[in-house]
Amino acid sequence: MKWHRGRLTQTLGAMGLTATLTVAAQAAGQGDMLDLAPMPPAKAGNPAMIELGKQFFFDRRLSGDWGVSCASCHDPAKGWGDGLALSKGYPSMEYFRNSPTVLNAAHRKRFLWDGRLDGADPGTLARDMITEAHTMNMDGRLMQERLQQVPEYAALWQKWRNDDINGMRVFNAVGEFITSLETRNAPFDDFAKGDSTAITKEAQHGYALFKGKAGCVSCHNGPIGSDGKLHKTGVPEHPDVLNNPLRTITMLRHYATSGMPNYMSARSDVGAYAISKDERDVGKFQTAQLRDLKYTAPYMHNGVFDTLEEVVAFYNQGGGEGSALSPLTLSTAEQQALVAFLLTLSGDPLIVEDPGQPDMQPRVFGKN
Amino acid sequence: MNNRKPLQLSLLVASLAVAFTASATNADAHPPLAPLPPVPVPKDNPQSAEKIALGKQLFWDYRLSGDGSMPCVSCHLPALGWGDGGQISRGYPGTKHWRNSQTILNSAYYNKLFWEGSVNSLEAQAPSAAEGAVAGNGDPSVMEMRLRFVPEYVDAFKNVFGSQWPRMNDAYRAIASYQRTVVSDASKVPFDRYANGDKNALDTSQKRGMALFNGKAGCVQCHNGPLASDQKYYDLGLPDFAGFVDDPLYQVTHRWEHYQKGVSEPRYRAANMDYGLYYVTKNPKDVGKFRTPSLREAKYTAPYMHNGVFTSLQEVVDFYDRGGGSGTSKSELLKPLKLAAQEKQDLIAFIEALSMSEPLLHDDPTLPGEYQPLPAPIK
Repeated sequence: MKWHRGRLTQTLGAMGLTATLTVAAQAAGQGDMLDLAPMPPAKAGNPAMIELGKQFFFDRRLSGDWGVSCASCHDPAKGWGDGLALSKGYPSMEYFRNSPTVLNAAHRKRFLWDGRLDGADPGTLARDMITEAHTMNMDGRLMQERLQQVPEYAALWQKWRNDDINGMRVFNAVGEFITSLETRNAPFDDFAKGDSTAITKEAQHGYALFKGKAGCVSCHNGPIGSDGKLHKTGVPEHPDVLNNPLRTITMLRHYATSGMPNYMSARSDVGAYAISKDERDVGKFQTAQLRDLKYTAPYMHNGVFDTLEEVVAFYNQGGGEGSALSPLTLSTAEQQALVAFLLTLSGDPLIVEDPGQPDMQPRVFGKN
Repeated sequence: MNNRKPLQLSLLVASLAVAFTASATNADAHPPLAPLPPVPVPKDNPQSAEKIALGKQLFWDYRLSGDGSMPCVSCHLPALGWGDGGQISRGYPGTKHWRNSQTILNSAYYNKLFWEGSVNSLEAQAPSAAEGAVAGNGDPSVMEMRLRFVPEYVDAFKNVFGSQWPRMNDAYRAIASYQRTVVSDASKVPFDRYANGDKNALDTSQKRGMALFNGKAGCVQCHNGPLASDQKYYDLGLPDFAGFVDDPLYQVTHRWEHYQKGVSEPRYRAANMDYGLYYVTKNPKDVGKFRTPSLREAKYTAPYMHNGVFTSLQEVVDFYDRGGGSGTSKSELLKPLKLAAQEKQDLIAFIEALSMSEPLLHDDPTLPGEYQPLPAPIK
């Protein structure tokens, strides 16, 4: 045994050296490989589900008191967000984070700013938003019965499934709709496919900075410009979260229901920590996508920056308190070039008209 | 052969016992109407002036509902007999309820609450109402956090319950304590004054009504004891609430209730009535049964019945005079009464004598102020 162990150690030692070299090589190689990518061809969704999901997305009856629909905070005319720094949430409440766009949701690895939901499961995202008390506060069973009362919905449902409007499948239909929302014709995509005139020289310079000196690409990569991972960049707190008790209420209540220790003492947005309870995750949020920034101001998890210039200046100084980033020393012109490049990642605006709420109708009583 | 004798004998004993019990029941009739005893208070939620005052504020506070529009008092208004005056309770915005909002007057005396007796205490009733999707639709964790941002509440909860922060369960306990103060004042109830010795407290019509109540009309079979309720469940064969047939929002609630109360799928699909006690027991014999309501303060609590189908005591008495309605499990206690018009008037006069001579009203409490930012955490 002794001999074996000795030999094993020797072998591992030799391998260790090799391994170190390999890791270094891979790191360098990965740095080269990380890049943005054009939007892949859209996957065709289930048309009947998408049609239903679109109806449900705009229907206020999916909230407890009919006060809000999904579209209230994810308005097509406002980049599928709400244009506010901090979202409003359910009537009588105020939310403590920014309402993110739902555009390009199909390419998200995680959902929600603290990354708590799996990007592969948009139905659960819809369930969370619709049933959560501070967003739509809907009893899912009551929602099911409401939707069954609308003949147009029952007919649409029959195009998809031969049963009644029911439960989780309503949420899945909404999920299918939001994952069908992809923007097309971003100038960057044409450029990446070989059309060197698709973006300006300044934007091309910005792209070089993006991948090089500014280092954006280390987190903002892939087709929507997000690694889907959690990072701490020290974005300043939005003062209204503590100044407006309604927002602090939703924040601390989120912590309480997430089982976060000592939640009543929290006075800041702890991000992913509320979910993982790992101290290293305090202040971490998932990387935002860079698609369609033209339409989705203000920026960051709390909308604290109104413009992309502010965002770039923030990163140029190495982020904020507790940031894992270093200062970039970009010139003003370089920062402008970066902003010019970021805007090439915005596609044609995607506008979906509110299809309206078909009325509930009486049903034959006793034949449910 | 021999070993059959003991069996026969025991059967004989058993049938004698049954006969004896039945005659005993007839003999001492029913617990008589009587003044209410002191309010029963559970040992784990003793009354205190501070707790009652806190509970009164919470009962009125709009913050204890989903969207801040439906405090307890919105369906239990003092000026409307502590109900909401509607046939069917108004329900949370975007919904319609499916039953009549019951008075909370004297609810402290019931052993179970709600028309089907689905909860066992006022402490358990409050969350069902505040959190139910067609009532308050409040999320308890949201409501609790709201209370923590109102400094007056933080102080009051600390004072009453000794907790650092308000807790929702304590809020419900305080509300229950307050409800234990919403009880009839016997000095203002003609029947109670009569029972306590003031023989002039009832007029001659009311006295005739009392005799009918205990005799020919048979009301006392179910409406007995100090509460004028036996707290049991009966099918009266009441007409159904018409809104279920043609109003989409009532239909939504009707199906939702069946869904969330956990009936079988065939029952859900065929649901064409309010099954009442069945939802609690899932026993087919209990379909259409509802708890006998107290007759105290009935003068102020129209409309009547679990679905508010009668707007006046006259309609109620007419219904019983006909022997009730029709239903598969209709109580055998209901038979046509053949009451004369004067007898009905006397009966109504007596029933009204079970109510205070003036309604019990409480002034609106002063609610604590707006939400305030939290102080810095205690290190």
